[in-house]
Amino acid sequence: MTEYFIRRVLQSLLVLVLISIVTFGLIHAAPGGPTQIFLAPGLSQEAAKIQAHNLGLDRPVYEQYFSWVGGLLKGDLGYTFKNHVPVGQILWPTVQNTVILMSVAWLLSLLIAIPWGIYNSTKEYGLSDQTASFVAYIGFAMPTFWFGILLQELFALELDWLPLSDMWTMGQEGNLGNLFMHMILPVSVLTLGFLASYSKYSRASMLEVLEQDYIRTARAKGVKENKVIFRHALRNALIPVITVLGLDLPILVSGAALTESVFNWPGMGRLFIEMANAREYSVLMAIALITAVVVIVGNLIADILYAVVDPRVQLGKGGKSA
Amino acid sequence: MVKTKKWVALLATLTLVGALFVGCSNSNKSAEGGSTKAPTGSETNANKSTDKPVDGGTLTFSSFSDIVSINPIYIDNTASADAAKFVMANLYDLDRKGNLAAEPWSLAAELPKVSADGKTYEIKLKKEAKWSDGQPVTADDVIFTIDTFRNPKAGSPGIGQFDKVDKLEKIDDQTVKITLKQVFAPFQYSLFNQLIPYHVLKDVKPEDLKNNAYGKDPAKTVTNGTWKWTEWKQKQYLTFEKDPNYWGQQPHIDKVVYKIYADQNTEVQALIKGDVDMVQAIPVTQVEAVKKKQGLTVLLAPGPQYEYVAFNFKPENFPDKFVPFTGVKTRQAIATALNREGMINNILKGTGTKLNAPFLPNTWADPGSAVTEYKYDPEAAKKLLAEDGWVAGSDGILAKDGHRFSFELQYNAGNSRRQQVATVIQQNLKEVGIEVKPKAIDFSSWADNNLTPGKFPAVLLSWSLNNPDPDGEQTFSSKYFPPNGQNMGWYKNEKLDKLWVDGYSTVDQAQRKKIYEEVGKEISTDLPYVFLYQYGQPQGLGSRVKFAEADAPEASLPYGAFFHIQNWWVTQ
Repeated sequence: MTEYFIRRVLQSLLVLVLISIVTFGLIHAAPGGPTQIFLAPGLSQEAAKIQAHNLGLDRPVYEQYFSWVGGLLKGDLGYTFKNHVPVGQILWPTVQNTVILMSVAWLLSLLIAIPWGIYNSTKEYGLSDQTASFVAYIGFAMPTFWFGILLQELFALELDWLPLSDMWTMGQEGNLGNLFMHMILPVSVLTLGFLASYSKYSRASMLEVLEQDYIRTARAKGVKENKVIFRHALRNALIPVITVLGLDLPILVSGAALTESVFNWPGMGRLFIEMANAREYSVLMAIALITAVVVIVGNLIADILYAVVDPRVQLGKGGKSA
Repeated sequence: MVKTKKWVALLATLTLVGALFVGCSNSNKSAEGGSTKAPTGSETNANKSTDKPVDGGTLTFSSFSDIVSINPIYIDNTASADAAKFVMANLYDLDRKGNLAAEPWSLAAELPKVSADGKTYEIKLKKEAKWSDGQPVTADDVIFTIDTFRNPKAGSPGIGQFDKVDKLEKIDDQTVKITLKQVFAPFQYSLFNQLIPYHVLKDVKPEDLKNNAYGKDPAKTVTNGTWKWTEWKQKQYLTFEKDPNYWGQQPHIDKVVYKIYADQNTEVQALIKGDVDMVQAIPVTQVEAVKKKQGLTVLLAPGPQYEYVAFNFKPENFPDKFVPFTGVKTRQAIATALNREGMINNILKGTGTKLNAPFLPNTWADPGSAVTEYKYDPEAAKKLLAEDGWVAGSDGILAKDGHRFSFELQYNAGNSRRQQVATVIQQNLKEVGIEVKPKAIDFSSWADNNLTPGKFPAVLLSWSLNNPDPDGEQTFSSKYFPPNGQNMGWYKNEKLDKLWVDGYSTVDQAQRKKIYEEVGKEISTDLPYVFLYQYGQPQGLGSRVKFAEADAPEASLPYGAFFHIQNWWVTQ
């Protein structure tokens, strides 16, 4: 296990380095640079050169990359070009805000989706199952921003029960009740989106397991249905679900740019779009890196969880997870 | 007050982004004596009041973008300029007609004294003007500010505003004499600017100023305006509060909140819900919804910007080096073939005014009826094209000397207004036998690869004018070919080149008006661009906002949304 873990971490570091090189190269290869955004027409060519030089933009890309990595190793994510604000100062609060929003929506959707999917697998095509299908279709088909606008129209404008947007009412930062009210609408939108896929996965996976021979055996020897479901079937049924969850984990950090925009949530998804338009390389790199780390960690956690739910999987011994 | 890359201006104004970056100052509109358009009375009835102003309360206005820095040396976008307006006093302000004015809240005590030869400007500051740390605002601040603006090491986007300055002299603590290298009438608008504090920043090296906390950290930004800057929560909001130590008359409004929204729809809903009192850019598709809402006012007067189609005259930019726009009749035919009224009514929903020269309608330099007017008339356009030697080919597209009349019209991706206008242009010109291929390009790469180097066949773009002077030399003179100027279509007209110089070489306004009338005549006949329309962003006001008639917002002025905000008040 330990050996496996170390191997995975080393592999991950290599992957991170590769990702950073590719991302850095791609970002710099995109046409239009940060200087275009803020160099003024009155600025002489000479002054423009001074500016580019001050920002280090006149150096070869590989040199810029190494100086970026050098900073990173010291924990320095760099500064924005446009107004020289430390990247961390802009980024970390948005990461935090996104994680708060997304993790609540995600956990909520799991709490609903998995039990519901399991229940529905036992009552195939029943009322509850049909309802779940309907909800899933809506969740898949309805653009999240549009659903968000609908909720805003109804609950914030018509009924005036909930705040329209933002994370806090100004002056109430830190008041959890206030945060809760602000979260209801965006969390609903996001939960519906997650719910759609997770309930489908858990139901399908459960149905597949329920048709296995060992379940039939268990039932045949008179094991109670509850016990069949929870003791025998559930563990196996959760494996594919865990894979999906592991793959989805990065969303918790990268955020849902559209939902964040509609509800004016000060999160990272929004920031990414804005920074991409402004060609703020340092911020973009930091976001890419964070996302990459979470993807890798998500996969790692999923692999480890396999071992937990499925005793057949033995990490590091040539098991199927490696 | 600041000169910016105009395209950026364009982009932003025009794109969904709604962040109006302000345009370059040198080509500009509507100055002294101009009768600019006030929003019509009925539009702001709910907000105009003859009551006695009430003190106190909070005004919240929304913006689509966050500030970058409010250090006046580096302001190059509307978001930052709007924020700065609350905390930094201008040396001079503008009156409703776009004339320089020494208002009670301006730092200058009186209008500048211009010498008989038009080369020196003497500025007198108010004795009582103070910075927020209690130090007086002095001649040193004025000199330091201008020196910083024009120092290339400081990298100010406003550097061009002061390139005509020869000498700066301190006469006494309150008086500065500025001597120009030559007579340059638009210079007066360079005085419509804010100052930086000499006593705070004198030891900062110019190359380090941009990275200095001044302008970004409220606690480290010493200001001299009506409110003081108390908070900046990045990407969320800024706050400005009444300063008991302010040197001038206290404003009515206690606190101003500048709130940032990432989505324009949400911004409009926030206005409807009452979360914000003022929205600067309502998408045209939502104007009706806002109007229907009781108590909300929509201001539709167009702002200081105009849209156009620019031709390129450089053969290298066309396949087989053939410029289809060479003939003046061809350009006139294109102007005649375009249905501009249709664009204004259907796409802009009325927030626009047709124009035929680069002067905003109803400003003092507007040549009015002196210009050549083009009425939508496809038949007349066809005739002009035939006279210029174009003959319909087998596919219905015109051709001359074996070259098909087909060109690419570029605009920036994501700008839905331009996308619609480009489609109308395509249809209108198809009717007269010209093939247009609209092409949307990401703004940043467009600026980089096409606009700055002047490499494109034709573009759909606009200029924002951030001061009211009519001078347009940098945009149209052959002295300003790419990559060092904004004449990106390589247009050359010797008569105009000279007229632009004449226009700024006298400070006599009556004489200038005559010259710009000449310019208007020539440019509207020769058509380096097809000038389309002046346009604007509908602005929304909640009913809590009140002002007297004389203090109403003035859309046609740069930063006119907050015109005389010092006199506004809010009700509960």
